[in-house]
Amino acid sequence: MDLLKKVLKKGIPVLLWLAIWQMVALIIHNKILLAGPIETVRALISLSGTADFWESVAESTWRILLGFFVGAVLGTGAAYLAYTKEFIRDFLQPFVVTLKSVPVASFVILLLIWFGSRNISVIICAMVVFPILYLSTLEGLLSTDVKLLEMAGVFRMPRTRVIRYIFLPQLRPFFQSAFKLAIGMSFKSGIAAEVIGQPLHTMGNGLYLAKVYLETGELFAWTIVIVLISFICEKILALIAGETK
Amino acid sequence: MTIEVKDVKKSYDGKVVLEDFSLNIESEHSYIITGPSGCGKTTLLRLILGLEKPDAGTVKLLGDYKYPFINSGTVFQEDRLCEEYDAVTNVTMVSRKVFKETVTEELLKLLPEEAIHKPVKELSGGQRRRVAIVRACAIPSDILIMDEPFTGLDDESREKCIEYIRHKQGSGPLVLTTHDTRGLGFGRVIQMV
Repeated sequence: MDLLKKVLKKGIPVLLWLAIWQMVALIIHNKILLAGPIETVRALISLSGTADFWESVAESTWRILLGFFVGAVLGTGAAYLAYTKEFIRDFLQPFVVTLKSVPVASFVILLLIWFGSRNISVIICAMVVFPILYLSTLEGLLSTDVKLLEMAGVFRMPRTRVIRYIFLPQLRPFFQSAFKLAIGMSFKSGIAAEVIGQPLHTMGNGLYLAKVYLETGELFAWTIVIVLISFICEKILALIAGETK
Repeated sequence: MTIEVKDVKKSYDGKVVLEDFSLNIESEHSYIITGPSGCGKTTLLRLILGLEKPDAGTVKLLGDYKYPFINSGTVFQEDRLCEEYDAVTNVTMVSRKVFKETVTEELLKLLPEEAIHKPVKELSGGQRRRVAIVRACAIPSDILIMDEPFTGLDDESREKCIEYIRHKQGSGPLVLTTHDTRGLGFGRVIQMV
């Protein structure tokens, strides 16, 4: 009964918004300006019947996740080094601020000139994820209980155990929120990079072609697929973070 | 081993907590440091552990002690336990030289069985204190340094803990601070002012 209530509570607003969307699409009555949900589902079914669609989904997802992984590992590692050595923290500060504040589009154009379009989403995702993980991890490390660290020092506790028993429990909430934010940002920035760079057989390229051919239904269909994959990845990450408790 | 504390002075924000304090700590001896709050008991232990540097005077390891630092089994003023983990893990985590079975046996000497597998955050203040005492005594060490180890313990537990510490002291020295010297007649009482 509770489950039914929960489903209704979440499902009814979604259905209402879909109905509003369909009504607005009917009023506008122009598939180029606004494709309705039915049109979008049609486009999605049509797209999913092609091998190119699945290849694009796999290619983009793989590259975005690779970028996410690289950025997460580098961000976490750099944060640990910055925690142990203050001069590394000072040295990295301008780099992190630059990564955080420079628009993704500027980096994409620069990277296109340097590396071409093939691996653009991997590099962009890593660049977006790096400061998120770096800052969260560093904040978590800096807020670690100094008395526990002093205890570890007095007992000459092995470094691996200090990380496992003192740092990791402290970092878990920071990681959970950082990973959640970072995975969403990865898909947003990765797809944006693909739209600008247009590597073949990617979701970003699919979005770009839908725009060029004024296929609004396809544009919405690709968007739904991207949101869905991002949502699934976020849930899988949350599950992994929950299981390692 | 001998630790020589010689003419040590230490102050915090201009307030002197230790002045010209000297003490020789020798193997097989027990030192019960007592005195009012703020007289420098904890500071003295921190100087011995190398966690603070004296403003003047020296703390030296004498004799043929081969390590550059004191290998100490320590009870801090606070419990300093990892809250999410149980008592056994809190003790085994600090050293590769102690094993689960031995630690369980040691903990059972001071704690009821149902307490040793719960996260320590679920234990009472007295039980947590006893976990901290076992942690200090269960690992191999050359000296026991304990800052108010009996805080929060009732008389019966206190007595058991004193007996346990005495048994685990071995040939190394014991330096213990306390406000209450009952049952600690075995050691040399040093009154700080």
